[in-house]
Order: sequence, then structure tokens, then C-alpha cells
Amino acid sequence: MLTRIEAHKSVIGTIVVNADGIPIRTTLDNSTANQYAGLFRQLTLMARSTVRDIDPQNDLLVLRVRSKKHEILVAPENDFLLIVIQNECE
Amino acid sequence: MLTEMLIVILSPSSSRTINISVSGIQSTRDTNGVIGCPSRKSFIGECNNDVTPQPLYQADPAAAQSKASRLFLDEISAGSASDQTTATGSFTMPFSRSIFGSSRISSQSTIESVNEEIEDTFPKRDLPINFPEVQRKRDIVKEHVTEDMLKEVTDISISETDSISLLDIPSTFVSVDADDAEATMERNNQYAELCRNRMGNDKYVDQSVQTLNGAAKNKQVQSDSIMMVDSATTVTTWDMYDSLISPEQCEELCSQELRRADCPEVGVDTSRGAERSVSVGSTASSGNSEGEVEAFGSGLNAESDLQLIMLSERFHHSLLVMERSILGNTFQPKLAAYRQLPVTHEPDSLVQPGMVEQREEDTHSPPSPAVERLWTFSCELSRGRSVHTMAWNKKNPDLLAVGYGEFGFSNQKPGLVCCWSLKNPTWPERAIQCDSAVTSLDFSSNNPSQLAVGMQDGSIAIYNVKNQESEMFFTSVCSECPNRHLDPVWQLRWTQQELSPTGEEEIESLFSVAADGRISKWFICRSGLDCIDLMKLKKIQTTKKKVGGTQTESVLSALTPGLCFDFHPTDSSVYLVGTWEGLVHKCSCSNNQQFLETYRKHFCPVNCITWSPLSPDVFLSCSSDWTIQLWKQDRHHPMLGFSSTQTAVCDIKWSPKWATVFGAVNEGQLAIWDLNSSLLEPIIVQPAAAGVKMKSLLFATQTDCVLVGDSDGQVAVYQLKNLSVGESSQVQLLDRVQSDVSEDYSACLNGL
Repeated sequence: MLTRIEAHKSVIGTIVVNADGIPIRTTLDNSTANQYAGLFRQLTLMARSTVRDIDPQNDLLVLRVRSKKHEILVAPENDFLLIVIQNECE
Repeated sequence: MLTEMLIVILSPSSSRTINISVSGIQSTRDTNGVIGCPSRKSFIGECNNDVTPQPLYQADPAAAQSKASRLFLDEISAGSASDQTTATGSFTMPFSRSIFGSSRISSQSTIESVNEEIEDTFPKRDLPINFPEVQRKRDIVKEHVTEDMLKEVTDISISETDSISLLDIPSTFVSVDADDAEATMERNNQYAELCRNRMGNDKYVDQSVQTLNGAAKNKQVQSDSIMMVDSATTVTTWDMYDSLISPEQCEELCSQELRRADCPEVGVDTSRGAERSVSVGSTASSGNSEGEVEAFGSGLNAESDLQLIMLSERFHHSLLVMERSILGNTFQPKLAAYRQLPVTHEPDSLVQPGMVEQREEDTHSPPSPAVERLWTFSCELSRGRSVHTMAWNKKNPDLLAVGYGEFGFSNQKPGLVCCWSLKNPTWPERAIQCDSAVTSLDFSSNNPSQLAVGMQDGSIAIYNVKNQESEMFFTSVCSECPNRHLDPVWQLRWTQQELSPTGEEEIESLFSVAADGRISKWFICRSGLDCIDLMKLKKIQTTKKKVGGTQTESVLSALTPGLCFDFHPTDSSVYLVGTWEGLVHKCSCSNNQQFLETYRKHFCPVNCITWSPLSPDVFLSCSSDWTIQLWKQDRHHPMLGFSSTQTAVCDIKWSPKWATVFGAVNEGQLAIWDLNSSLLEPIIVQPAAAGVKMKSLLFATQTDCVLVGDSDGQVAVYQLKNLSVGESSQVQLLDRVQSDVSEDYSACLNGL
């Protein structure tokens, strides 16, 4: 399944980050992956905290950051973090 | 009052400080109060200061007050004291005591002599034991006293005296009625008068007394410094919720984390374990800067982590969500068009100018009915297989089941059932491999996750598609069910029958029609599926004559294959069957011997038959004789016949929204007919892609889209556009039908 995502034509890269903030599987280079991992970890913690503060039974599924150049999707979990960078489609 | 004075004289002449002080005073008064006199103490300061309390009363020459007969000096050794010029004393003050009847004090001299000796006398204590010694020492080493005495370590003890009460006159109360009340009152009056007369009276002289404050002593104590640690925590709503409401989940996750920490694959467990905090909410660890350092040291850990993560269910779920999000981005315009939502455009995309032009073009030209291809469900699994049947899920309208199979006699590939979700057109949600080619599918309405699959070898299986690995509920395979179909099951349908005997719920049963000429109703028995036959399709040979004679024919099966059937939308006991012979029979569930009616028109196998969902008495049938016939239930002849191409019509379906619209698929094209606008031609014709034959058709229930399955394993979704349909389609349909009927009649009459 992960390979399918990675093989998608508009997907630039994927990063799977474990609980310690180390990218354990990535299609990008290591430094970029580390950078993404570190930066998005904070953001997802904050976003998740926000969502759950409003309703504790709710939980964050996917966080999408859409920028000019591409869109970054982050799926946070307790044990890991899944980051996918997708290009503008079409 | 008796007062006795005791004068203690301190010699000031020596340079050395005095380390001996006077004893306490003991004095009493006769009438009132007792002044407690503590034992004599030495008041020696640490720095060898003289901290002796000063005498409280300066001996006055007007010591006429002292009527004491004797003066006591407490061990004033005049002689020796005079020699001890060591006592420096910054003062010499007579120290007076007043003693009452004291026998403790021994004195030698009178006041006068004391006064004379003030300069030289040195008070001597009797209690401090070391004092005489000291004095003797001083006597002995008089010459070297300065050096040695200075170096000597002396014991210094300072203790507190008892409280000295100087004046204590408790007041007494005398009752007015007492005997000596008068005397007391008189005395009181005298006193009051005295007080009044006091001011300016010569008898009384004011004299002030100053109490001397003792020297203050500073005492410092040093203690250990208190360690202060700052501790802070952020309390969030979800944190409280987590700890209060779901402790079990926390424990589970904790145990999972601990298990991971104990994973013996890598030896660096302790460090990892220490890092993993037990609390679920905080997965924070060292920052990114440390990550790189750790990455090297725990490279092995990363792999085990990866494995664990990959296998975990949550990862799969996340992947699912992620994939759908990605695809949602990609397919967003298409899906939005499908769901009839406004399409969002990229704000800065380069395609925009072109699209703007296109939109302008559209507005200029009059819109004509067309289909627009939105997307295609296809993947490698399904490529190359032919789509035979499709069915929507009854509960979740986004879920589509597609059955694939090859029908060539030469290659009998095993069949495949894929459950597609609209949200993911690139990969099916479920893919079920079947033993043989799949010929029919239907989802159950009572249990929406049950999917019944009919196959080419006549077996029927019911799958539960809820879980990731869809399991087969029941199957009727050859050895298990004696009544199974022996020939391909051409159509399956779940239908709700009448109310059960309890009258509470409708039971749903599975019906099937197969090429062995039987229509069966299936139910679940102990060992699997079992069926009872509803109807056997007997061949009706009124018009045909067999060459071979009837004898041989009786050997062969007297049943004709049934190819399709459809239950009446409202009355579920009546159904129509289309047969190989081209006959359409109307049957009833209760009567399994005879047909209610027979409709003859086709002379080739009837491929599909369907009731109109909106108009109760009308149904359509299509067959391989290139025609589509529109029938009314009570007429033996079709109302209308349509024919547009010269190929067999494979599939036909009514539109669920418009009563006059239906779609037909033959091998080369998709044709959408609108009875309202044209009877002779379909309004929309979409030719198939090259080399691909369109095989089956399905309308989308909620939107105006059409799904077409073809022989390459692709299911294309087309959106119907610009279909101008009248408002009240039903009425129009009937009107049309009636007008056509009249046309037919007139044509017949004219023709005849």
C-alpha cells in the first residue's frame, strides 16, 4: 500500500517517522527527511492538541498544508508520523 | 522597707576585661511580692566583654534610706581584689542589693568602706567555682597575666537568669459589705486624694529610672540551601479526558510501547526504554537535532521500528486515509462533478486561462446532451478481465462491486470480485478471488456487507466484505449442496419477501436464475446454502418444431436457460424471467408450475429485463436480436421497440431519476435513450474505446452518472450532461405510451 502511494505520479515523496522523530522510511534524501520530520512533528502535536481540546473524543486524522508549490499531508499517530508530499495535480 | 545594699565593685584599673560578674540580687519586700533571686551567675561575654548587668540602683549618698544595719558584700575580697588590678571594667559602680532577712550574704564592710574600696575591690563570687581558681591563677601569675591569660581558653557559659520581679503589688478586692470595708475605702480615698495632690506637691519628687537594655547579641545559623526545581505541566482538555475516561486504552498502548521496548531484536533496549515515556499523551522525545546523533546509534532500532509500524493496524488505517486524501486531490474535480458539487480550481495554476476559454465556449454554444467521462476504475488486477456485472451497495452508495470473468471456452480464468470505493479509483478496497468466472453479483439490503456472487460453474457464494480479508460466509459448492445450479448463474437478486409470520420484519431471500432453467430461492441451512426451486422454465414449443423429434428431446433437459429476471418493485412476489428462447414470462412466487403470462416478441435470447422503477407497470427487455422492447404489464405486445444498432444489446437499465430515460449497452457503444425527446434514436451515443467492448451498465443512484464496464476490466464513469428532461416524467411517459399505442393501432389499421 505504501508502495502504491509512493508510485502515484503526483507524489513527490513520502516519509515515515517513528516515535523518536527519526525517519525510518523515506523516498527523499536524509537531510530533507529529517528536516520535515522535525518540523512537522511540532505542528502535528499542536494541531492534535487543538482538535482534542475542543472535543476530547475527537482526534486528528490528517493534517493538510497546502502551499504554493505543493501540498503536504501528515497523518499523525501515537507511534509514528506519515508525511506525504504531493505536487499540484493536473 | 528594709533595704540592704550590697555593693559589688569592679576594678577598672586593669587592662584586662573583667570576666567575673556579680551575682544576682536577692531582695524581698516585706509586704508584697517576692523577688526571686536566682543563683549567682557569671556574665562573661564571648569576646570577654563585660556583659554583667549593671547595678540597678546607684548607691546614693542619700543612703539614709537604707536602714539596713549591715551591708553585705558578697565575698568581696578587698585585699586580693585590690591586687588584681586586672579587672579593667569600664566602670566602677556600686552594686546594691536589698536583702531582706537574708543570711546568705556575707559582707565585711560598710558602705563607707565599700565606697572607699570601690576603686580597688573586686567582687568575688562564691558559686562559680572556677572563679576563685581564676582569681588564684591570677594571683599566681600576676606578672604574666597578660600573655597567658590571653592565650588561655576559658569556659564561658552564659545562662539565663530567672525573671526578676521588681515590684509586684497585686490588687486586692474587698467587698463593700465586709467588715473592714470602711478602712479600705478610707485608705482608697486617702490615696485618691494623695494622687490629686501629687502634682506640685513638695512631698513628692519625680525621679526617673532607666532600664538598661542589654547588649544585643547576633547569632547566625547557616543551613543548607534549599534546592528549587521548577516543574511545569500543561493541562489540556484532552489530557484530562485521556487520564480519566480511557485508562484501559492508555494501558494497552503502554503495554505495546513496553513490548516494543523489550523487543530483543536489538540490544540497545535500555536507552530506548528510558526514552519512551509511559504516558500516552506525550510522545515527545529529543528534538530533531539529537535525531541525527541517534540515528546512527540506533540504526538497527529503526528497522525493527519500521517493521512494527508497517504491521500495525493504525499504520494501515493512516495509509488508507492518506491515499484517499491524495487521490482526492487528484480526482477532486471529477469527484466533485460526480457529486454535483462546484469544482474548485487551482488559484495559480497555469491551466486556468485555457479553462476559462473553454467555459466561455460552452456558454456560447447551445448545450447538447452528452456524456463526459469522469474516471475509470481500473487496476492491474482487473486488467484483461471482462466485466460482467456490477452492483451498488445498498447502504453505502459509494461502494461498488464489480464482477470479472472471462467467458471464453478456451480460457477459463478464475474470477475476481472487486469492491471499489468512489474515493479510490486506483485500487479496489477488496479483491476476492473466486473459483470461476463471476456472472452475477448482488449486495444484500438487510446485511449491507453481504455480497452474493454467482459463478459460471453454478456455485453461489456469499461473502462478507466488511473486514479487510473478506471471508466467505456460505458457499454452495458441488459436494455440499445437492441442489446447486449446474450451469452459470446468470442473475442473483436479494429480495425482501412478505412479512414473516410474526409480522415484524421482512425476510430477505436470495433468488437466482441459472442456465439450467431453474429459478431458485436460497436459504441458509446448517451446512450451507440450500435452495428450493421456484420455477422451472420449461420450454414452450408451440411454434417451433424440432427436427430431432421429441424422443431425443426428452432425454435432454426440458428446461430452457433463464438469462435474467427481475422482481416487481412493489409486489415482490411477481417477477419476470427472460429466457434463452426469447420469451419473457411473468411468474409468481406462489405458483411454481405455471407462468402467469408470457410475452413474446424477441426471437433471440433475452439478455436483460428490468422493471421501470418509477412507473409500475412498464418494463423493458433487451435481447440479442438487436432490439429493445418496452412492455406494459397487461399487454401481450410491446408498446415500443427500439433498435439503433445491429449488434446484440447486452444490458439495459432504467435511470433511477427520470422515468423516460434508460440506457443500453451493446458491444460497441453506450446509448442513452430518452423517450421524451426521441423514440427513434438515442439521444446520447458514446462509442466504446477501440478494441474494447462494453459489457455492462449501471446507473448511479444519487447522481446522474452512468457506469459502464467493458471487456478490458475497466469500469468507466460517465456523467450525463445537459439532459433536458421534463418535469413530470412519469406522466409524460404514460401519455407517450398511450399515444404510441394509438399510433400502433392506427398503423396496424392502416397497414391492414
